[in-house]
Amino acid sequence: MKRAAQFAVATVALLAALAPVYWLITISLKQEGDQFAVPPLWFHFAPTVQHYLKAFQSGAFTRYFANSIVTATASTVLALLLGVPAAYGLSRFPWPKLSFWILSTRMLPPIVTIIPVFLMLREAHLLNSLAGLTIVYTGFNLPFVVWMMQSFFDDVPRDLEEAAMLDGESRFGAFLRIVLPLVTPGLSATAVFCLIVAWNEFLFALILTQTESAMTLPVGIAAQVTQYEIKWGAMSAAGVAAMVPVLLFATAAQKYLVRGLSLGAVKG
Amino acid sequence: MKGRLPWIAPAMVLLLALSIFPLIYSLKLGLKPAHFERMFHDRLFHIALWQTLLFTALALIAEFVLGLSLALLIDGLGRAARLFRAGLLMPMLLPPVVAAVAWRLIFNPQFGVLNGTLKGFGLDTSHLTWTNGEGAALLCVVLVDIWEWTPFLFLLLSAGLQSLPQEPLEAARVDGASWWQTTRDITLPLLKPVVLLALLLRSMDLMRIFDQIFILTQGGPGFATETVSLYIYRTAFRFGNFGYAAAMSFVMLAITTVMARSLMRVMKTK
Repeated sequence: MKRAAQFAVATVALLAALAPVYWLITISLKQEGDQFAVPPLWFHFAPTVQHYLKAFQSGAFTRYFANSIVTATASTVLALLLGVPAAYGLSRFPWPKLSFWILSTRMLPPIVTIIPVFLMLREAHLLNSLAGLTIVYTGFNLPFVVWMMQSFFDDVPRDLEEAAMLDGESRFGAFLRIVLPLVTPGLSATAVFCLIVAWNEFLFALILTQTESAMTLPVGIAAQVTQYEIKWGAMSAAGVAAMVPVLLFATAAQKYLVRGLSLGAVKG
Repeated sequence: MKGRLPWIAPAMVLLLALSIFPLIYSLKLGLKPAHFERMFHDRLFHIALWQTLLFTALALIAEFVLGLSLALLIDGLGRAARLFRAGLLMPMLLPPVVAAVAWRLIFNPQFGVLNGTLKGFGLDTSHLTWTNGEGAALLCVVLVDIWEWTPFLFLLLSAGLQSLPQEPLEAARVDGASWWQTTRDITLPLLKPVVLLALLLRSMDLMRIFDQIFILTQGGPGFATETVSLYIYRTAFRFGNFGYAAAMSFVMLAITTVMARSLMRVMKTK
């Protein structure tokens, strides 16, 4: 009896969590006449992919999509290239104060940094460029990479690389050939987190990319919303397209979700 | 020192360039008495600050209560727990812009599924304006945040519960303690560090709320859902007053710094 009630409450919570997303998906698949029918059509409608075709044939959304992929990927690769060695250095030659300082830069509210960063990028003629946004995202993800990877490196016993170094490996060689392969799962989870953060990010993208050629997907979707005549179908199709990669990423990193979201404090 | 430097130097250069340097730039821009005098008299800023704090408090309390209840509830569900957990996380993973778009499709007074459903039951919905009405708008954006971020507290608390030592719980059960007694006297005290951590992480994010409100209401109607981040954004990027915007952002920085310091203390003791 008690267990049945528990299941019932959990199911209600699950439906509440999924219903808005499900509704968004149905709107993206409905003919225009069905989208706002009263009473609402939850299940029985003739599906169409016209909104998806329209959204991606217009060229603009394809562009936003590509921009999002480029900035998310490039900033993730850069953050890893800079952050992973730093994390290894801080793991093998600990300096807790510096580690915490690095973490604290991640906690700066975006609205505080965006004003000077905008002015600096304007000076450097990097507004409305994927390069500018990539640099900013790299800086944003870097503290996270350092902090997370340090906790993964801490889990690797030092004896392994020290043995290799006695055999004539350099420290860098030992890092590359012995330590790095051992932290691959952590490394991929960290990369996935960076991808999600960059993919979902809105405020910096909104301010730093205002031309169609540089906008990322969230900014492109937002631009639709604030227009007078909202194209609901195209907008929800773009929304669904934007959420698919994130859900795939998250599934891939499921095991480390808690560790990442709690900045490494809860191992999960 | 020497061994460490080549490893960390490149990362440090970028971090300094993208966090410390902008901060100094910002101080130079905003640290002027005139700005602070204006802030002191700026009623709109006060409203935005008050609404941000109200929004943070309401959402945090609701998300914590719901997240903890769900975590305790699902912890007892055995193998099915995994499935529920995976599904419940969905809202938090979506791009915030997409989540807000989904909720526009719900709240819209003419086309939204909420009023559509009510109309289907024959109710008159002409006065139900949700995010378009001054009275309910703030509560609506709080509701959206609860939907989106309760999963975060749920996930952390749920993980915390799973990592608790089992012996004290077993001992209490053997002694005949009720579920409620065990939870109150043993589980929750043991869970305290995770609770603190989750609350601090969440409140720092709540204080800077921007994306969802930007999409849902743009701070309106009128000023009903304006928050500090939105007001600073408007001041700088719509009205071009970067100095004043930077000065206001220091208030955000101060509040965040206090929270971040407590957070670091929690993390250090773990």
